[in-house]
Amino acid sequence: MAGDLAWIIGNVLPYVTLAVFFIVLIYNFLKWVFMPRPVVWSLFPAKRSTFDILLTIAARIFTLPGPRKVDITIWVLAWLFHIGLIVSLLLHAKYILMPSFPAEYYLGSAAGVAAAIGTLGFIIRRIDLAKTKADSTFADYFALILLLVTLSLGAYLRLGELVEPGVTWAWVRGVLTLNPVPPPEHPLFLVHILLAQIYLMYLPFKTLIHPIAILFGQKIILDERHIYPR
Amino acid sequence: MEEEVGKMERVVEVPKLERVFDDYRALSDEIIRIEEPKKEKFLEAMRKSLTKQNWPFLKPYKLTLEACTHCGTCAEACSVYIGSGKKKIYSPVHRSDMFRKIYKKHFTLSGKLFGSLVGAKDPSEEDINALAEAVWRCTICRRCAMACPFGLDNGLITREVRKIFADIGIAPDELKEKGVENHLKFGSAPKIPYEGLMNILEFIKEEIEEEKGVEIEIPVDKKGVKYLVMNNAGDYLAFTETVQGIVEIMNYANADWSLNSPKTGVFDVVNYGLFYSDEDFVRVMKAHVDTINKLEPEYVVIGECGHAYDALAHFLKDLFPPEERPFKVISLMELVDQWIREGKLKLDKEKNPEPVTFHDSCKWGRTGGIYEEPRRILKAACKDFREMQPNREWNHCCGGGSGFAIMHKDDFFKFRMETYGRVKAEQLRQTGAKIVATICANCKAQFRELVEYWKLDMRYAGVSELVANALVY
Repeated sequence: MAGDLAWIIGNVLPYVTLAVFFIVLIYNFLKWVFMPRPVVWSLFPAKRSTFDILLTIAARIFTLPGPRKVDITIWVLAWLFHIGLIVSLLLHAKYILMPSFPAEYYLGSAAGVAAAIGTLGFIIRRIDLAKTKADSTFADYFALILLLVTLSLGAYLRLGELVEPGVTWAWVRGVLTLNPVPPPEHPLFLVHILLAQIYLMYLPFKTLIHPIAILFGQKIILDERHIYPR
Repeated sequence: MEEEVGKMERVVEVPKLERVFDDYRALSDEIIRIEEPKKEKFLEAMRKSLTKQNWPFLKPYKLTLEACTHCGTCAEACSVYIGSGKKKIYSPVHRSDMFRKIYKKHFTLSGKLFGSLVGAKDPSEEDINALAEAVWRCTICRRCAMACPFGLDNGLITREVRKIFADIGIAPDELKEKGVENHLKFGSAPKIPYEGLMNILEFIKEEIEEEKGVEIEIPVDKKGVKYLVMNNAGDYLAFTETVQGIVEIMNYANADWSLNSPKTGVFDVVNYGLFYSDEDFVRVMKAHVDTINKLEPEYVVIGECGHAYDALAHFLKDLFPPEERPFKVISLMELVDQWIREGKLKLDKEKNPEPVTFHDSCKWGRTGGIYEEPRRILKAACKDFREMQPNREWNHCCGGGSGFAIMHKDDFFKFRMETYGRVKAEQLRQTGAKIVATICANCKAQFRELVEYWKLDMRYAGVSELVANALVY
C-alpha cells in the first residue's frame, strides 16, 4: 500500500503536475498577450524602443527599483527569497542531467535556507500588513506556508543526508525518460516531493501570475512608443 | 461653565454629512444617495467595465485586479497613506481590495467556489457607499504604480471604479455638472463669458504695458496661427499672473500666436472627464478637437495645466485618428525651453533673486514626462533654484490633483490639508525656498491653501510668471 502511494506520488503525479503547470501558465500568458493594447498609460521616464523597453523590464526584474526606493524590508526579503528559490530550482534542474556533487549539497541547502528565511519574513510581514495596510487572504498564506514547509524539508533532507543521491537521480531520470523506477522511500522525501508538486500546480493559478504580470505590467508603464512622434 | 462652553460649541457646530467611509465626505447626499439601493446597478456597470467595450484600459485594469500579491509596497509610496499617519483605509492596496473582493465574488471562478478563502465578498449597500467615497480619497497620482514591482496600478483601479459609479450617476458635481457640463455648454467650466474674458485680457494687457513699458498684443480667435495657446480657465480667474506671463513671453518672442474665446467653442483646456468618465472625457476631447480644427493652428500649446497635457498630447493620439487632428500638441514648457536655448528669450536671473523650488505635478511629470524643461527654464530665470526631495517621478502629490483642489464639500478641505497637504508642506519647508513654482492650476489652488494652512513662509508662482519677470528688454 505504502509502495503504491509512493509510486503514485513519484511516478504518476509528476506528469499531472507538469501538465497543469504548463497548460495554465501558457493559458495565462496568452490571455494577456491577446488582451487589447491599452491606450497610453505610461509612467515617465518611459522608453521609445522595444529594445530599451525589454532591457528596462529585465533590469527592473533583477533590481526591483520601486521596493528599493520605498520599502527596503520587502526588497531584502524579495532578494533572499527569489535568489534562494532560483538557485535551489537551478540545482534541481541540473540534477536532471547529472548527479549532484557533494559541494552542491551545501549550496543547495544554503539556497533553501535563504528562500525559507525570505518566506518566513513574508509571512511575518503579512501578519503586520493586516494591521497597517491590507488584509491577506487564506490563499496568500497558503502559498507561503506550503513553500516554507517544502523548502524546510528539502534543506533538512540535504543537510541530514537522509536520501541516497544515486537513488534520487535514478528516479528523476526515470520520470523524464518515461522509464519509471521507484522513488526514494524516505517518508519525508515523499512528503517533500508531494508538497512541491502541489505547490507547482497551485503556482500558475495564484502566485506564478506575478512573474507573468511583471512582464506585461512593466511593459504597459514603460511603453511610450505610440505617442511618438509628437 | 465648562458645560456651558460645551453646549455653545455644540450649538455652533456645522452639521456634517453622514459618514460612510471615513471622517470626510467628497460627494453630496444628492449625488451619493445613501439610502438608495444601488448594488445591482453597480454590478451591472462593473460587468460592462470588464468587457472589451473598455478596451483602452482593460489590460492594466484586469492585470492589477488579478496579479496583486498584497505585498504592500504601494502603501509606502502613497502620499495620502503617509500623510494620514499610515491609516490602513488609505493604503492603495486596501482601497483596491474593497473593489477586488467584489470582482472575485462576482467575476471569478475561484471567488465563486472558495469565497472568503480567496478574498471574495458579496458587497452590502454600505460597502458600495463606502467605495463611492473611498475612490475620492486618491488623486490618481500613480506614485504607487511607480513603486509596484509588477507595474500594477492602483490609481487605474481608482479611476475604473469612478467610471463605474459615474455610469450609475455618481460623480462629484464639481467635476460633472459644474465641470464637464458647464464646460461644454459655456466654453469653460467656470462659465466665463466672452466679454468677461476680453475684460481679463484687457486688464492683463494694461498691466504688462504699465509694468514693463512695452506694447502688447493679445490676439484672440485668430485663424491659421502657428501657436494656439490654450489655458486652464482657472488661470484666467484665479491665477491671472500665469496668463500674464504667457502673454508677455509670446509677445517677447514675437510669435505668430493666438488665444481663443467661447466664440470658437471651448477655450478652457481642462478635461475633467479624465478623472471619472471615459464618456465625458471623450466628449470634452471632441469639443477641443472641433474648436482647434476651426482655428487651424500648426501647434496647440498647452498652458499651465497638467491633465490637459495628458489628455491632448497623449490620449488624443490613441483615441482620435491622425486625419481628425491635423495639428501638433506641445506644452508651453517645451516651447519656452526651446526659445531660451535658441536665445529668443533673454533672461536675467537676478530679477528673481529669491530661492525657488519646483513641484513636479503628477500629470506633467509621472504621466507627462515633462521633468527637465521646467528645471532648465527655472535655472535660467531664477538665481537660486533648489530641488525638492524627493523629486521628478518620486515627487509627492500636492493633494490638489484629480480635481480635489476644487472640491470643498463638508470638510474635504481639511482632508486635503491634513493628509496629502501635510507631506507636501514638510517637503516644501525642507527646501528653504521662498517660492514654489509649478505648472498646474490644481497644484496652484492647493498651494494657495496649503501655504496658509501650514503657515509656510513662501508663495506659489507659475513658471511663466517667473520667466516673464526675468525677461530683459
